[in-house]
Amino acid sequence: MITVDTVTVGYGTTAFVKAVDAVTLTINDNEILGIAGESGSGKSTLMRAIYGDFSTGLRIAGGTVTGRFEDERTGVVTEAQSRDFGKLWWDQISYIPQGSMSVLNPLMRVEKQVVDGLPKREREGDRAALRARIAKFLEGFGLHESVLDAYPHQLSGGMRQRVLVAIAAFVNPRLILADEPTTALDVVVQKKILLMMVEIQRRLRNSLVLVSHDLGVHYQITDRLAVMHRGKIVEMGPTAEIFANPKHEYTQTLIASLPRIDGERREARA
Amino acid sequence: MRLLRYIAGRLVVYLLVVVFGLTVLFFVPRLGPTDPIEAMLAKVASQGAYMDASQVDRLRESLADTFGLSGTLLEQYWAFIKRILLTGDFGPSLSMYPTPVMELIMNALPWTFGLLLTSTLIAWVLGNFVGLLSGWKPEGTSSRVMEGIAICLYPIPYYILALVLSILFSYVWKIFPLTTTIRGAPWSWDLVTSILWNSFLPGASIVIVVFGWWVISVKAQTTAIKEEEFVRYARLKGLGDGRILTHYVLPNAILPQITFLALQIGLMFNGSLITEILFDYPGLGLLIYSAVLQGDFNLLMGTISLSVIAVATATMVIDLIYPLIDPRIRHR
Repeated sequence: MITVDTVTVGYGTTAFVKAVDAVTLTINDNEILGIAGESGSGKSTLMRAIYGDFSTGLRIAGGTVTGRFEDERTGVVTEAQSRDFGKLWWDQISYIPQGSMSVLNPLMRVEKQVVDGLPKREREGDRAALRARIAKFLEGFGLHESVLDAYPHQLSGGMRQRVLVAIAAFVNPRLILADEPTTALDVVVQKKILLMMVEIQRRLRNSLVLVSHDLGVHYQITDRLAVMHRGKIVEMGPTAEIFANPKHEYTQTLIASLPRIDGERREARA
Repeated sequence: MRLLRYIAGRLVVYLLVVVFGLTVLFFVPRLGPTDPIEAMLAKVASQGAYMDASQVDRLRESLADTFGLSGTLLEQYWAFIKRILLTGDFGPSLSMYPTPVMELIMNALPWTFGLLLTSTLIAWVLGNFVGLLSGWKPEGTSSRVMEGIAICLYPIPYYILALVLSILFSYVWKIFPLTTTIRGAPWSWDLVTSILWNSFLPGASIVIVVFGWWVISVKAQTTAIKEEEFVRYARLKGLGDGRILTHYVLPNAILPQITFLALQIGLMFNGSLITEILFDYPGLGLLIYSAVLQGDFNLLMGTISLSVIAVATATMVIDLIYPLIDPRIRHR
């Protein structure tokens, strides 16, 4: 699906600040890949390089990100470098942002925000038919049809995040990239949304990349996990294996920092 | 039902604001030392008319009656409020006695309104268009040039700009008339061209001076909104620049501008004092100016009351319209 080959990514043109350092990574078809790491470890930058979002001075200084998208509906195979992914956005690739208050246009109804950007193949039929399909799709997320007529400020944080997941999934893409999709939510809502994402991935049999600093999230849903630290992938493998037997010291520290139900209670230290 | 309650609430606030404004307007002149009746009597006396004491007393009484100055302060106040709110009657003009103030205002209003509404709208549309584009693509040559022009025009004091325009285009190059003289039979083509011809310079002076402000304010809006996450999200959806600009940036950037526009339209009833004096344009501004010069209290009260009512009305209209354009205000 996506091959990331010793890619170095950073910001700025004159003074280059390296954020991702010679990372090699493969995203396979039909899998959920997790990228974990602390703030500033380069996971979001890596995700942007994979998505092909080269705005705000982001630049690949070395290596390549190559994508191969097989669309079984049309039989078309597209191969491209990530800098050319722009034309595949909301067609073969879609993206779930971290759902802050301002990700959705405050002056646009949810229905229009779902439709805006949809590829032609998903727009078939008249408006009423499309609306009915979207409504049915949202139902699967526990969202009532009336959400379609709502403005973003009328939805709760959890509803907005579900809408964002639904918008990305309704595109029916081969690859979905999710950047901290559940970070702003409480664990109950978080779990619901994660399960929905798994359900969608299993149904569409596409690839899902999940970026999160929360190892608990990765433990719950990812098939494979890449742990990033200071711009490098320090450990990568099946999630269950990494949790059972972390090899790298940093991964061990991360896993040890997770609260355990049988662990002893300690005061937090600065 | 909720909507009705909202509207009723706005109307009550509106009435309170108007009554409060009129109250201030009623009491403030009465704090001053001038007595319009004595001033009028002095004026009559200075014109050489001889009156004996009883005649003066009778004149004083009838003046007090026409000026609405008879009775106690409270009685005067109630009469004043009732008269304005119920009948819109401001009494006769003192300097152009006995023409009613309302008639003078109604004669001047179309001129001011026509001139200011047209020039404000032109400036608004132009300014927002230029500001939006220059905020959207700040590196572009055309947006830099337009913004440069706007920034240069913005700080010029209005009277200097108007004088320069007037000197250049009606004195040095005699293209436009120096003072306003409207000719032509009613509803004739001559009249229309005459009005347009005479209004061009005053209109242009207003457009030029206000244009810069619109450009700068909408540009600030656009620059901020361009960085909003929903714009980035729209871009990552693969939406084109045009669609992002028209459906994401523009509606969000233009909202505050609509508020300012409505307030501007409310302020219009003050007339554009300097414009109308400089170009001798027969609008409300000129009327207020002459009222002040000639100590015409009734006319002053009339024009100022009208502007109080107009600003309050404009604000209420924005309040009523805003829910239609901003969904965040609609549902609370």
